[in-house]
Amino acid sequence: MDIVAFLKSLEASGIATRIRDSLWLFPLIESTHVIGLALVFGTIVIIDLRLLGIASTQRSFKRVASDILKWTWAAFALTALTGTLMFITNALVYYHNFFFRTKMLLLVLSGINMVIFELTAGRTIHNWDKASSAPSAGKAVAAASLVMWISIIVMGRLIGFTTTRAAVLAPPPAGVNFDDFLQGTPEKSGGTTPVHPDKK
Amino acid sequence: MKQFAKWLSTTFLSVLIQRHNSWVIPTIQTIHIVGIGVVLGSVLMIDLRVLGWAGMDQTLRQTTTRFGPWLTAALYVQLATGVLMVIGEPVRELVTFSFWLKMFFVGVGTLFAAIFQITLRKHERKWEETLVNRGSIKWLAVFTLLIWVCIIILGRLIAYDHVWGSWSPATKA
Repeated sequence: MDIVAFLKSLEASGIATRIRDSLWLFPLIESTHVIGLALVFGTIVIIDLRLLGIASTQRSFKRVASDILKWTWAAFALTALTGTLMFITNALVYYHNFFFRTKMLLLVLSGINMVIFELTAGRTIHNWDKASSAPSAGKAVAAASLVMWISIIVMGRLIGFTTTRAAVLAPPPAGVNFDDFLQGTPEKSGGTTPVHPDKK
Repeated sequence: MKQFAKWLSTTFLSVLIQRHNSWVIPTIQTIHIVGIGVVLGSVLMIDLRVLGWAGMDQTLRQTTTRFGPWLTAALYVQLATGVLMVIGEPVRELVTFSFWLKMFFVGVGTLFAAIFQITLRKHERKWEETLVNRGSIKWLAVFTLLIWVCIIILGRLIAYDHVWGSWSPATKA
């Protein structure tokens, strides 16, 4: 199957349709994505600053890493899952989006960056574990990591500004919003949101 | 509020931001997201220490000395970028239910952080020896983290305020 047909089948899948048809699901999935990325970024910064010798310098690197990395990975799994769910709702558009592609490339690069760390400074941790900063290879990886993750956030935000979701193009269907969770609320006036929310 | 938002959108700074909308707003939003990353990361580390799940080689005071200033600094960044976003897009921000609920949670979250840091400084021994082991304090740590999670959700929902139905002032327009 070629990629376009595959992406189309993703878009047509039950779960993608379900998300598109819901007023709540996409915003909640996107919010969860932001929670996940805030945790990924917030915890990676702690590790990178430790490697650079800027913060947590009095603690051993191993201790800092063992406290934090499990949370980074858990949060990363959350962003990957929510990211995939957002992707399948409009797969073709995301696939052709320049910022989406750049973001995916940066994610791959940050993975390679991690491998570089394991092959360089990561091999000699026992030598510098208690030192206030990592050897220069470790510092370079940390600096690259900070630049890449901030760029990933930039790209993520730009994807929101340059893609339009089909579900938002149509006026929100009546009777699927917060009012339905409250009993006895009179008929709502049904807002109109013909453009992507980020585009106003 | 709508009138205030409309007036705000005619002010010099607002017009300036609107004129360079294509890059200014995404840039400010990105800084705001980087900032919430630092906020959530810092809150997480302090809360995990209170829960006894991380940083147990450090005292509570040491953990707070490490992350407290970053949390405070990041909150100032959030305030500054947040104010700029409100000035740049007053109607989009102020005429929403999500924004005001978020501001309430931000107030509560910031108050908790401030009370914690101040009382820890004043009653260091009591915190280290007894308070940190109390179940109620551990629940408070979980609750604090959840407040910031809600803040993130509400922040994103500003763009999708119609999900609140008739609670959203935007849909009454």
